[in-house]
Amino acid sequence: MPSKDTDTITTKETAAVEESESYQSEQALANSYDTGSIDRSVFDQILEMDDDEERDFSRTIVFGFMEQAEQSFKDMEDSLKGKDLAQLSSLGHFLKGSSATLGLVKVQDYCEKIQNLGSDPDKTRTTNADDREERLAGITSVLGEMKEEYKCVCVRFRKFYDDLNGDSQL
Amino acid sequence: MLSVRVWVKRPGGSPTIVNVRQDDMVDDARDVILKKYQNALGKSYDAPDISIRVVPRHARPRSLDHTPGRGYDPQLSERMLNPDETITRVLDDYFPGGQSIDEALVIEVPPLPSVRQKTPRPSPHHGSGSHHDGHSGIESNEYFPLMPHTGYTQAPPTSSSQIREPSMAIITTGQVPNLPGSPGGANRRNVRPNTRRMQTSSPVVRPSPSEMGSVTPGVILLPRQNRSRVNSDASNTAQPVQAPPITAPTVEDNTQKASTPPARVASPLAKKLKEKKQHTSPAGLLPDGAVPPINVLIVEDNSINLQLLEAFMKRLKVRWQSAMNGKEAVDKWRAGGFHLVLMDIQLPVMNGLDATKEIRRLERVNSIGAFSQSPSSLSKEDAPAIPDPDEKDKLPNSILFKSPVIIVALTASSLQSDRHEALAAGCNDFLTKPVNFIWLERKVTEWGCMQALIDFDGWRKWKDFTKTENRGGNEGKGGKGFRNQRLVTGQKGSGGEPKPLEEGGGLIPPIG
Repeated sequence: MPSKDTDTITTKETAAVEESESYQSEQALANSYDTGSIDRSVFDQILEMDDDEERDFSRTIVFGFMEQAEQSFKDMEDSLKGKDLAQLSSLGHFLKGSSATLGLVKVQDYCEKIQNLGSDPDKTRTTNADDREERLAGITSVLGEMKEEYKCVCVRFRKFYDDLNGDSQL
Repeated sequence: MLSVRVWVKRPGGSPTIVNVRQDDMVDDARDVILKKYQNALGKSYDAPDISIRVVPRHARPRSLDHTPGRGYDPQLSERMLNPDETITRVLDDYFPGGQSIDEALVIEVPPLPSVRQKTPRPSPHHGSGSHHDGHSGIESNEYFPLMPHTGYTQAPPTSSSQIREPSMAIITTGQVPNLPGSPGGANRRNVRPNTRRMQTSSPVVRPSPSEMGSVTPGVILLPRQNRSRVNSDASNTAQPVQAPPITAPTVEDNTQKASTPPARVASPLAKKLKEKKQHTSPAGLLPDGAVPPINVLIVEDNSINLQLLEAFMKRLKVRWQSAMNGKEAVDKWRAGGFHLVLMDIQLPVMNGLDATKEIRRLERVNSIGAFSQSPSSLSKEDAPAIPDPDEKDKLPNSILFKSPVIIVALTASSLQSDRHEALAAGCNDFLTKPVNFIWLERKVTEWGCMQALIDFDGWRKWKDFTKTENRGGNEGKGGKGFRNQRLVTGQKGSGGEPKPLEEGGGLIPPIG
């Protein structure tokens, strides 16, 4: 089976190249693992899905997430202005899902907090204006922290993917 | 309450210890003995059937070392014990200073019809643990209790091998069999089936189809003849049971980035880091075609998660469609042909639980799969619905619904209550987010295999479909009989050689 053999050699070389090129950025990413922002085992399984050295797949996912997160932040701010707790809860849940998928545990936690602050399982508290204000204030502060955390993660992701190209833009 | 250890044995059998309380009568001891011999005696006899014979020291033919120091009471002769005697007192009388292993009480039972005695049934649950009776003070009824120091190393004449290996066979037949597979000692390990039990789905990568063929246990779908060829193909498509032993070549593969994916030994997670660079084939995580060709419906409202799940399905080479909310999911499911639904729970429009309930309701009113098997039980609750589903509930292509779809809930929280809720709504299973791909693959494999077995026709059509899709010409030519021809239409050549994985990769559009 000559074709198979050729494939073997090619893939070997590719992988070797990939290994050396991505080593440094791996290190960069490893730093953010250390801070507890990223659950390595979760994010690694996305990296595993990459089948080229450009990491096109995971790049799409990660940058797609960033887009989604930034949009979510905007939506949350709008909902805060509109004092729409239910919507905030829903937005929190939404972003929680994708941040969990990427292993961004801290972002995920913030999202869960927002989800919980916004939700009102026993409908009784909704009538209490003070309580609502309190929870809206809580969400405002959590959102602020989450954005900070997001920025850190973001920088690391960008660095990771830019270093892959040997083309530092940020 | 103090418990006392009493040696007992069956005639010709190996002595064993039973625990009785100090004030137990012989009748109580019979209960304990029956529990000890729950297979040999317990299946055929009741406690009152048992007679216990005591043999005084001097009367033993073997005990030539009759201790001269001890007085011999002529009244203590060999006899059957009465049920109302206190057993410890009897022992004290007969065996002052303690009963030794040689002085075990002899358990006798009336003979059974010869058929039953000749074919005792050794049972897998032979013993320990479950047979505590009312005796609260009893600490151990194990087969191997701590032996008194006497007479153990100095093996009694009944043979040391019996003690070392008191298998059920000995107890039930009263003689030592030379069984290599008796459930005792070192043999136990070998008895375990080492090829099948390991997994249904953990991502073990097989290095080559020839090895696959040789190690794969028979698969249900296989015809008998022409086994090796069909085997490698069938294992490629629907094999819930195979677990090839990790052989040396697979381990070596770890270092080589071959088109055959690297082997994953027992713990895939541990190896991830090393391996991740090696996934240059689209099948990355997985052996080629190890997942059955099922049709998966992914229900997920978050586009990022959806993208990832879709990519994973591509890698598993299963067909999939996606829905962004529960309503869409139900609609897509109604079109038929799905085997597995990955159902996010919190969804817009209609949440996953409601969608699940709706699907189950429609399955019920259309009498799909298992529900139709028991019309009598259902007719009570649902009598009008079963014979005549509402027009709007009727499924268009009922032929496409071979069995109830498997619904695996994707729950965002790890709360037990959420899981229970999902199961109560009709989900078969659940995964916690973030979804671990190994687990996801397991679920797809496990449930998919089950569905592939149920829906064999659908499976075959799918195989035909992939055949035409994948340039089709070079497969299936070697089938000897009709059945084989049907089966040998996989993603492998009929000679069992793997097609390069990259070929399938053509189906995957580049991303980004």
